[in-house]
Amino acid sequence: MSTERTNPSDKELWRSLAVGRDVAPAPLSDLDFAAWLEGRLTETAAARIEAAVAGDPEMRRAALELADILGKPLPAAPARLEVRARALVGFEAERKVERTAGRASLFDWLFAKDRRFGMQRVVALTAAVVIAVSGFMLGGGLGETVAQERYAANWPRTTDTNSNELTEFLVSDSL
Amino acid sequence: MTELNQIDLRALSVGNKRTWDAFVAAAAPLINAVVRRALASYRLNEEDVMDAAQDVFVRLCANDFRLLKTYDPARAGLSTWLAVVARSAAIDHARRRRQATQPIDEVPEALLGVEDRHVEKLKIPQGLLTERQILILKCLYDEERDVAEVAQLLKIDAQTVRSTHHKALLRLRAHFGEETP
Repeated sequence: MSTERTNPSDKELWRSLAVGRDVAPAPLSDLDFAAWLEGRLTETAAARIEAAVAGDPEMRRAALELADILGKPLPAAPARLEVRARALVGFEAERKVERTAGRASLFDWLFAKDRRFGMQRVVALTAAVVIAVSGFMLGGGLGETVAQERYAANWPRTTDTNSNELTEFLVSDSL
Repeated sequence: MTELNQIDLRALSVGNKRTWDAFVAAAAPLINAVVRRALASYRLNEEDVMDAAQDVFVRLCANDFRLLKTYDPARAGLSTWLAVVARSAAIDHARRRRQATQPIDEVPEALLGVEDRHVEKLKIPQGLLTERQILILKCLYDEERDVAEVAQLLKIDAQTVRSTHHKALLRLRAHFGEETP
């Protein structure tokens, strides 16, 4: 790295001046800042970032530090950093995400706002409604079961009576 | 070992375990280096530095990988974006932990100087210098960096930095009526 330094009289001149800005630069996103660091932006877009970086000492230091790090070979990270970071995502999380994604995609497809597959979606929804209604109509057995449960309370308790008689018989025989 | 630019971002953002492990292996050296450099002036112990680096990974996968999903490969490289995110997370972490302290030798001279409050600086009118000229002058004089560092930052050669610097000073001297050297 060059050790070239600047002329002290230039520095004095610069220090006697202040950059005039009427408006504070807009905040930058991480992506904009990264794109600028890579030199990917157009001249106009880069000028906006350069104004923000020039106006903020913390951003200037960040930019100089990152440019230096990104231009060098990196040493290996401590093994425990990797171990701890790997443990943040487990196989359970992956399965959960996949299940959730599967459910969401069917639901999203059925009720999507775009017009693609409109006919197929209408047919699928109609079929679902027909199956649900048919199931309800055929569920007469459920109605019968409910009726039996409702009237069961009023039926004579013959079973209980028999059971009591058997208990008394066993007690009398000391069994 | 998988390189960062070979990571399947779609699989990563849905929590694929193998992709995450490959991502961690590829990203750990960069995140480690960025966090260490960012925290150098905070005088934190090794445990705190490790926690700060871990915090970067936590941020990336938190809330169903929300931060990671904001990354757009069409706009910037993954390593550069990660470096920006890691530095920002490390600084946040350090600020939460403790007040920053910096050895006096590492503080640029400009920040240590006590200014006479009665001296009013002349304001450079807007438009006199380009944003790039201002940035170059600030890096050279306020941050006290050398030409090579500024060239590396701006992805230009050192000679372009020198000529931009020279043109900026000529304009300033012409505007404020000083003689050029």
